[in-house]
Amino acid sequence: MWLWFSKLGSPKWFYELSGKWLPWLIATMILFLVIGATWALLYVPQDYQQGLTNRIMYVHVPVASLSLSFFPLMAVAGTITLVWKMKLADMVVKVAAPLGAWFTALALASGSIWGVDTWGTWWIWDGRLTSLLLQLFLLLGIISLRSALEDSDAAARACALLSIVGCINVVVIKYSVDWWNTLHQPGTTFGMSSDQPNGPEFWIPLLIMGIAVALFFTVSLILATRNEILERERRSQWVQELVQE
Amino acid sequence: MNKQRTSTGQAFWATLQRDLLIAYKRKNDMANPFMFFLIVASLFPIGISPDPERLAEIAAGVLWISALLASLLAMDNLYRADYEDGSLEQLLLSPHPLYFLVLAKNIAHWLVSGLPVVLVSPLIAYMLNLPSESYMILFVTLLLGTPVFSLLGSIGVALTVGLGSRGLILAVITLPMSVPVLIAGTLAIEQTSNGASLSGFLAILGAMLLASISVAPLASGAALRISVN
Repeated sequence: MWLWFSKLGSPKWFYELSGKWLPWLIATMILFLVIGATWALLYVPQDYQQGLTNRIMYVHVPVASLSLSFFPLMAVAGTITLVWKMKLADMVVKVAAPLGAWFTALALASGSIWGVDTWGTWWIWDGRLTSLLLQLFLLLGIISLRSALEDSDAAARACALLSIVGCINVVVIKYSVDWWNTLHQPGTTFGMSSDQPNGPEFWIPLLIMGIAVALFFTVSLILATRNEILERERRSQWVQELVQE
Repeated sequence: MNKQRTSTGQAFWATLQRDLLIAYKRKNDMANPFMFFLIVASLFPIGISPDPERLAEIAAGVLWISALLASLLAMDNLYRADYEDGSLEQLLLSPHPLYFLVLAKNIAHWLVSGLPVVLVSPLIAYMLNLPSESYMILFVTLLLGTPVFSLLGSIGVALTVGLGSRGLILAVITLPMSVPVLIAGTLAIEQTSNGASLSGFLAILGAMLLASISVAPLASGAALRISVN
């Protein structure tokens, strides 16, 4: 088990293995994305209240739910960085932060577009929106800390620590913001009740889109990590050989 | 070898006394956050409205946000001087658990930068026309909440202590983390003025304080070890 673990930490091994996976992952992603998007955008019956607007749900819900997974991911990778000093884990922490910021921003943007039609406003200080916004700020903080620290080893450990602290904090923020919001807006009708699809004709395409976006997330993370590996290992022999090919 | 062995308790008190003494010798550093708090709080009536009724509505939020910003501003000199003159390295080399030493530094820092803000808050509350029955609640919640700001801010300062331009990064890292305390503090004042019971809010703020006392110095210590290589 430990052999496998230390092997996983080797950037070269990961680079080769992920190179074999990538074509399959991308193919599956495209398959799911095409089926899911066509189904969701053309064939799902219109919502009797929201009409066509409802179709943005098929982008918003998968993106928003995935954006919540970034902090746990970064906290786990950060712990591995701090405890076992595994280079690959630090690369994941580094590339996940901007990716997470993009996912969070996308979730907020798609939510705004949905909101302007259903709630009649681009922004409202709703619990979910506020906690996502604060998560975005925390991710931007991690990114700017990384770019401010010059020594890459110190940056790795500092960002790992901040990811762990941030992960705990995101949970506290989530609960406190929900609490703040429910006290402020009793009997709110916003919530997300409209994303409780009532029949399989609604939730099956949502599931397919969910898988497609999850695959997109995996593919982006792997591509970004591979990029980071090449950059950091540019002096090692195997990268030089790879470039020369 | 075994000449004078200090206990962890002695080390804790020594660090606390040393930091308080340094703060006492540099009264300016001590006064700045306090002045900052007064000025920021008095900018709100000028910027928003001098109307007493509108001020009464926003007073609690203004006081809490000003206290948060003052604490952020004060954070910068928590480890910087020690980092520059090398005494931070000595602190890290000490055989005592870093948790207690960091906690002592945080307590000393809060006593000189957080406590004055809390003490003067009823005066500003009066000037902002906060309903008088809320003074006590404001005072108690700030007393519980501002140490949490210091303890959380300490993590951010420890991470950025070696940087040249740390002020803005510190704000970006620390401010979002302080949101739960801000929410609990302002809700306590608002809800109790609507007749809600105070004990729940005090329990939540107390829980936040206890949680950050037990965890934040550990994170600060780890961050200091990273920054001081």
